[in-house]
Amino acid sequence: MLFAPPDPDILARRGKILAGLRGILSDGVVSEPAGLAAFDGDALTAYRQAPLACVLPRTRDEVSALLRFASAEGIPVIPRGAGTSLSGGALPRADAILIGLGRMNRIVEIDLENRCVVAEPGVTNLAIGRAVEKDGFYYAPDPSSQIACTVGGNVAENSGGIHCLKYGITTNNLLGVELALPGGERVQLGGKTMQPGGLDLLGVVAGSEGLLGIVVEATLRILPKPPVTRTVMAAFRDVPCAGLCVANVIAAGIIPAAMEFMDRRCIDAVEDYCRPGYPRGAEGILLIELDGVEAEVTDAVAQIEDIARAAGAYEFRAAADEAERARLWAGRKAAFPAMGRLAPDMLCMDGTIPRGKLPEVLARMAELSERHGLGFCNVFHAGDGNLHPLIIFDVMKPGELARAEEFGAEILKLCVDVGGVLTGEHGVGVEKRDLMPLMFSDTDLAQQGRVKCAFDSASLLNPGKVFPMLSACVEQGHMHVTGGRVPYPNLPRF
Amino acid sequence: MAHFAIADETQLVEAVRAAREARAPFEIVGRGTKRAYGRATSIANTLDVSALSGILAYEHDELVITARAATPLSEIEALLNQRQQRLGFDPADWGPLFGERANAGTIGGALSANTDGPARLRFGAARDHLLGYRAVNGLGEVYKAGGRVVKNVTGFDLSKLMCGAMGTLGVLTEVTLRVYPRAPESATLIVRDVGTEDGFALLRRVWSSPFEPTGLAYIPDCAAKPFALGDCGQGAALMRVEGAAEPLKEKIAALRTLLKGRALDRVDNGEAILAQIGAGAAFLGRDGDIWRLSVPQASAASCVERANAPIWFADWAGGLLWLGLPATSATALRAIGARAGGHATLFRASAESRASVPVFQSESAAHATLTKSVKAAFDPLALFNPGRMFEGV
Repeated sequence: MLFAPPDPDILARRGKILAGLRGILSDGVVSEPAGLAAFDGDALTAYRQAPLACVLPRTRDEVSALLRFASAEGIPVIPRGAGTSLSGGALPRADAILIGLGRMNRIVEIDLENRCVVAEPGVTNLAIGRAVEKDGFYYAPDPSSQIACTVGGNVAENSGGIHCLKYGITTNNLLGVELALPGGERVQLGGKTMQPGGLDLLGVVAGSEGLLGIVVEATLRILPKPPVTRTVMAAFRDVPCAGLCVANVIAAGIIPAAMEFMDRRCIDAVEDYCRPGYPRGAEGILLIELDGVEAEVTDAVAQIEDIARAAGAYEFRAAADEAERARLWAGRKAAFPAMGRLAPDMLCMDGTIPRGKLPEVLARMAELSERHGLGFCNVFHAGDGNLHPLIIFDVMKPGELARAEEFGAEILKLCVDVGGVLTGEHGVGVEKRDLMPLMFSDTDLAQQGRVKCAFDSASLLNPGKVFPMLSACVEQGHMHVTGGRVPYPNLPRF
Repeated sequence: MAHFAIADETQLVEAVRAAREARAPFEIVGRGTKRAYGRATSIANTLDVSALSGILAYEHDELVITARAATPLSEIEALLNQRQQRLGFDPADWGPLFGERANAGTIGGALSANTDGPARLRFGAARDHLLGYRAVNGLGEVYKAGGRVVKNVTGFDLSKLMCGAMGTLGVLTEVTLRVYPRAPESATLIVRDVGTEDGFALLRRVWSSPFEPTGLAYIPDCAAKPFALGDCGQGAALMRVEGAAEPLKEKIAALRTLLKGRALDRVDNGEAILAQIGAGAAFLGRDGDIWRLSVPQASAASCVERANAPIWFADWAGGLLWLGLPATSATALRAIGARAGGHATLFRASAESRASVPVFQSESAAHATLTKSVKAAFDPLALFNPGRMFEGV
């Protein structure tokens, strides 16, 4: 991965910039190296870079003031929630101000009558659900990092999770945002209504990875808890058989609340880690959750058992009680930390493929693993074809990171080749930035780039993410020139 | 005034490039069923894209369909029906309200105008179903966005922007949509003789229940006649639930428990009635302007009271109010909408009214600037339906 060298002019102005930031925030400007080290990256751990400065605003007016300042000074800005991005979405730059939104962590309003929650960006995903569970509601998107990840980050990354198969990802559960634009002005997009009044700008903000604005408030849809929830587990002696089972469940017209796959290596790791009761020796298991009214769930479980056994499942069981159900899911949610004990480093991929291609892709990934001489395991959201192969490597061994990245890139290329996409829920960030041409032509990317320019003509928000090259905003006469220089003259072109 | 028709995407590109050279904008027309919707414009040229028709791929086991943008919706729905599947946003047929043929619209028109019907409540709006598309932008380039899988966050989600854009951002040529399994059965239940506030409260209770209603509408006495619901007293609350036989029975029983003390009847032709609700059938055969108010559900009753329309009805558990009021009510209605945190759209009115009264609610200055920049990002010379949404957009 190549990064743009920092702008020496900005680095030279650091003292003045810090003074300017302190003029805006009486506390919450982090500038000393030890403090900045806490903000030097996210969950894409292979890359670290401390920012020029980190600021921790408490109010939306402070966010606006910070953006106004950065814009006037021509300094890049990196927004950050809890720093759980797996694609480097919150990776700083040496010449950028990092705006950490963790202090804006108030739930502004719980509006049960309109079935929504209004929250500041630093509220955690889990806290939304917690706030409404006693009233029988929940918030559907549930990324594995939900204990830490924030609403603002969820909007930026359009986060998914286990339960998005039936209930959609963040964008489908997001009613509105108040967005601070790069120049500091704020706009309300959407609200508590079901239809936008003009262009659906909210739709493009969700998943824009911090490139279009900073979310200072979000309005989220909450759902009534289903009366019955049942989890079943099917065990297979052969991975492609599990893939076939997934495809056949969907083809039968059943949309489970969740349908998750784990392979043998992952089952063993998780069993060692927290003993959820998975069958050791299985080559793969599926965890499937059904919800709805009793008769609906009973029907679906019976149908799925038939499909699973026909696909080759040798064991099929339903969680006997709530405790067992919770244990089965705890195992799934612990998959990443459990794998973390086995390997010094992991690269978590995130491609999505058409479900019918699962058997083929699973088989080809095993071949790739052998060719690259790197182990991997598979744990993924099978129901929507969203793969999360975890590549195991050791960053201390010369060349392994590069090999792991190469292996990962080949998996993603495979996903695109069979009609899928590079990322299902983790975002492009820096991780998959240079792979974008696998999926999009220059013309496709230029169109997206022009939307970026419409929001951020000076390219100051989260630069270097998502797009393999920053085309300057010239086509519309938007080119932002500071001191006679075009933005990022040093940026490498790929 | 010129009328161009293109046969395929290649000709479309040529047409856009020619329009670019001549700086001559055009109105994009599919089958023309919704030309009277949106801000009135004075665009001299029309571009007939109806030849961009045909289903390209239907993978029923992947729950995905790809079609050329001007494929008739009826063709898509007929094909999905064969496999017990449906479009989740439940596109409504607005043609007859605008004096056009019934059941004649295209998929591209449905997406571009956000014709979301009653089941939108459960499955989401058009924007939640468009997975990807191909289009020609204002530079005369063919580009694609999104993909063919449901879970995809690769790059900006431009598909959302195209939905409801009224053709102002480009000419769609191909669209890929997710589809849903259609439940084997449905039941539409009715509570009769229920007042406005009471009716909305009741709908919200069902909306907040876990029985996954796919239609929650309130039809007051004044609008009941075209729906042939029998004697509705002050008004009727309608609720549709779906499922296989046994689950459906269970849902109906659960609704009876939830609404105990209310007489809950089942109507025979619920599917047809809900389709009519989506199509705004209360206004069929009547002249006069129509407004649609999009408001938070809990504000529906107070908005209705303030609006004081002689004919009105509500869909989406109160989230969508159809009001028979003249275009001149704009100021009052927009104040009502804004106070509730919603907005008003002048849905049907004469071209003169739609030229003088903003059709879509005006945006704040910063928002309007952003909207114009986004328009320019797709269509810098304003060739596509300029002014159809806002002045200059």
